[in-house]
Amino acid sequence: MTLVRRYWLESVALVLITLSVFRSMTVAADVTQGDVQRLMYVHVPSAWLAFLAFGVTVVGSVAWLRTRDLKWDRVAASSAEIGTVFTGLAIVAGMIWARPVWGQFWTWEPRLVTTSLLFFIYLGYLALRRAVLDPIQRARRAAIMGIVAFVQVPIVYESVNWWRSLHQTQSRNSIDTPLRITLLFAVIAFTFVYAVLMRRRLELARIEAEIEDRQSVDEPELAGAGITAPTLEEVGPGA
Amino acid sequence: MSFWHQVFEISRKDLLVEARTAEVLTMTAPFGAVALILIPLAVGTDAPLLSQLGPGLYWTIVLLFGVLIILRKSAVDGPAQRDFVRLLGIDPAARFVGAVVATATLMLVFEILLAPVVLALYNPDVRGWGWLLLILPLVAIGLGLLGTIAGGVTTSLGTRTSLTPLLIVPLSLPLLMGATQALEGLRLGRGIGNWLVLLFAVDLALAVSGVLAARPLEEAIS
Repeated sequence: MTLVRRYWLESVALVLITLSVFRSMTVAADVTQGDVQRLMYVHVPSAWLAFLAFGVTVVGSVAWLRTRDLKWDRVAASSAEIGTVFTGLAIVAGMIWARPVWGQFWTWEPRLVTTSLLFFIYLGYLALRRAVLDPIQRARRAAIMGIVAFVQVPIVYESVNWWRSLHQTQSRNSIDTPLRITLLFAVIAFTFVYAVLMRRRLELARIEAEIEDRQSVDEPELAGAGITAPTLEEVGPGA
Repeated sequence: MSFWHQVFEISRKDLLVEARTAEVLTMTAPFGAVALILIPLAVGTDAPLLSQLGPGLYWTIVLLFGVLIILRKSAVDGPAQRDFVRLLGIDPAARFVGAVVATATLMLVFEILLAPVVLALYNPDVRGWGWLLLILPLVAIGLGLLGTIAGGVTTSLGTRTSLTPLLIVPLSLPLLMGATQALEGLRLGRGIGNWLVLLFAVDLALAVSGVLAARPLEEAIS
């Protein structure tokens, strides 16, 4: 009982994901695409989760700039990491889905191109974080980039409407009710997975910050640091 | 000194540095022109194909080689120069806007220098070219804003030269799409209002983000 109470979020996420997988495997398949359409229950929630994660990165970045509390920087960074992973998953799931439906893994299709660029934008954000060693400096620079990078998210979302191409428009109005309910359920389950991953990643980030703090305190003195420049008294006329 | 006077002085300083070295005129622009000459050798010298590819290639070269202009700016501004400007009490927002004005001006010069090269080599359809008077500055301002923000967050980092392009190039997608699709729309006789709105909206969003982030950015590089 204590374990369930301690891991209640993980438990809920596990139950929801299990039910979601079961539901997505048993719901009627799309008449035209057949079973391959079931990839939608991974592809769309992954994309949704990426958007959510990048939105949380913006919130964390703005909150850091306002409060200067490093907790918010950790929220922004953790969420960006998760978002990048799920952007990658959305791309891969989309490519696997595209192969039988469009006849190829990759087409120069606006949604694919903009999503891939979104992936690289957040890789850049993570690379920026790695390049700065000082935690405060890192938080400042990353917060600015975290806000600016979000500009790409509405472009990815709207790309299917702006450039009518192979990719279908948003699924909410274009699919039958049983499929829509299954998709909604998968989105909810993935959101709980995000919450679990965020909780774990934040714990890890807090531990990393503590280690970083201790290392900076326990840092051994540089070789030669004990040697000081001669003072005037030492080299004066009497010396 | 008023805000706009500070902006003027900062952009003047940056443009004076460029005027002395003439890096955009004598190095970046010829480099871009060489790239425009080389591409047909790689994709084939079929005239109708090149005519179709020309505008897209032009914007791609502007974007990729424009990164060199942005990197040049952050290389010129060393810690001593930054400290000096800070000690003068210049408003961080004025510093940001001044840097954007200078970078956007250089980017516009770069665009104007490359345009005749594309016209001569690729013979693109120039229907509705008058709209370029609006599209060129909008893209130049967008790249100037993006470059100043990205250059700011990577200032004084050892990985600056690799990291800055990685931050700028994917984020410039809306500018590239807006510019290329607007030209395509003109070629096909379609309306280009939506693409101009996109360019304007991106510029506005970046300008607001940049001005709001100017002070934290100043602290980050101190």
